[in-house]
Amino acid sequence: MPRQEVLEKTKISDRMFLFQPCVGSNKYPGLITASIEFFRKLGIELVTSDDQTCCGGFLTFTNVAQPTSTMPAVARNLAVAEEMGLDILTLCNGCHTFLTEFSHFMNDRPPVKNVVNVILSMIGREYKGSQDIYHSLEIIYKLKERIREKVTRPLNGMKFATHYGCHYLNGFKKTALDDPHMPTIMEELIEAMGGEIAEYGENRTCCGTGLTQIIINKEDLSLPHTKMKLDDLNAAEPDAVVVVCPYCLAQIDRMQQKLNYRGSGKYRVPVIHLVQLIGLALGVDTVKLGFDAHAISFRHFLKKFDSMHAKAEVHSG
Amino acid sequence: MHETNKEWLPGFDKKFAELTHQMVKDLEKCLQCGKCTGQCPAAKLSSYNPREIIRDLRMGNVEKVISSHELWLCFFCSGCYAVCPRDINFPFAISMLRYAALAQGYGWEEVKKIKDPYAQDYYNTGLSVNINERNLGIKKEIAKNSKTDGRIETVRKKMGLPPKRLVSERAMSEIKFIADATGMTDLFKEINKKKAKEKQWNYGSPADLVKVKKGPNQKFIDVEEEEKEKIS
Ligand code: SF4
Ligand code: SF4
Repeated sequence: MPRQEVLEKTKISDRMFLFQPCVGSNKYPGLITASIEFFRKLGIELVTSDDQTCCGGFLTFTNVAQPTSTMPAVARNLAVAEEMGLDILTLCNGCHTFLTEFSHFMNDRPPVKNVVNVILSMIGREYKGSQDIYHSLEIIYKLKERIREKVTRPLNGMKFATHYGCHYLNGFKKTALDDPHMPTIMEELIEAMGGEIAEYGENRTCCGTGLTQIIINKEDLSLPHTKMKLDDLNAAEPDAVVVVCPYCLAQIDRMQQKLNYRGSGKYRVPVIHLVQLIGLALGVDTVKLGFDAHAISFRHFLKKFDSMHAKAEVHSG
Repeated sequence: MHETNKEWLPGFDKKFAELTHQMVKDLEKCLQCGKCTGQCPAAKLSSYNPREIIRDLRMGNVEKVISSHELWLCFFCSGCYAVCPRDINFPFAISMLRYAALAQGYGWEEVKKIKDPYAQDYYNTGLSVNINERNLGIKKEIAKNSKTDGRIETVRKKMGLPPKRLVSERAMSEIKFIADATGMTDLFKEINKKKAKEKQWNYGSPADLVKVKKGPNQKFIDVEEEEKEKIS
């Protein structure tokens, strides 16, 4: 159940800064195009900037750079959006966490913010801390009724499993839009577009990326964890898994190929970011949704989706 | 090697604050209830135990924690924070403890794996994920699914996008300036050449000092042929 006070505080503007995630740009470009296209249909313009880089917070929490190094790098990205006078929309649990945590850290500690601004002044920028940073779920949930009205290709007859990921709900257990233990907002959105929900027990467990575990302990921790999650997920027989973070998307999508290759089972459930799913239901050109970049094919998924629509037409015709 | 508890560390939080850039607080409030460990994905698969680590920190065994294998097993999933009745944001503590470990010479091999290529990509391209698919198996799947050569550049072009996401020259020079001015560049160089000290402590049982317990889901690790991951 969404927290009313968070919902009320969420401001929808006609123009928002789309914070492009690295995984989105270089592995799953459909996330960015799908967002821009369907937000346009809802009357909202998403603006991007070439001056934006990787959020930078990633480097601190993976211990390859000190917080004192990444704080100004994060502030620089925030300043880019701030100069344009725009609030930030993030598509990645990681970007959202790092931008939000660091901005709070700086805003709560004026001396830290001052030091950061001394560095930024040398590159001709300033971080004021005036804009809002939103997770895509916050904005999308607030637009639920607008989305429901604009659905042209409803998801009827399709079953979806959800995966919220860790950093948004867990990391912001007091300020996120939903409860970390029993969230429902994604389910409500899917149902608003006509889809059904496939429930499974491991819904709230990590995808297995484990921030760095996929790199430093892939065999011992990351892969076994992902396999456990996938086994439970497959038993619920969803047509696709819906995620809200490109890292989760990459892990669940790519590790299936890896497990298949190693003969550890047969995994072939397509993984879709919520923005791609909304794009699909709102009639965005399928090419622009970027399914081509996924490791697990959407061929069967789209075939079923199209046949559901053909059936619906026969009934209504 | 047995646990060698020192005295209870009074004012632990205060001492700890400097070590952690003031990013971690309230460890002193831990109830030792173990809810964190109960739902921890890393604890499920290994001898890692967040509750035990907090206990050690409070007992003054900071060195033991810092030199342990387990320090590098946290998933950073914040599940512990979500269930903690005392709102202890433990992954932040882990991240900061890892800096302390690096300062003592531990963990440099782990950090190197992340620096190459992710952080280096950030430094060179502004993005910490490379557009080249390093896993050839996945590239093959993408090629099959998209009926292209499997390169993301090609897929992007098919979608009507420029082959690569643009990062402006101004942005690149700015992040390099920040990296140089704040010591990030130097740290990268140090990561390249630093040899890690061998870790001293393992929380697993003394008879079974393997780094990670083999769980029930690990069958697949033993299959014939390792994938050949090559930088393409
Ligand atoms: S859940 Fe919180 S209070 Fe309980 S043991 Fe873990 S850190 Fe301590
Ligand atoms: S953040 Fe780390 S300690 Fe906490 S539950 Fe996740 S893996 Fe365990």
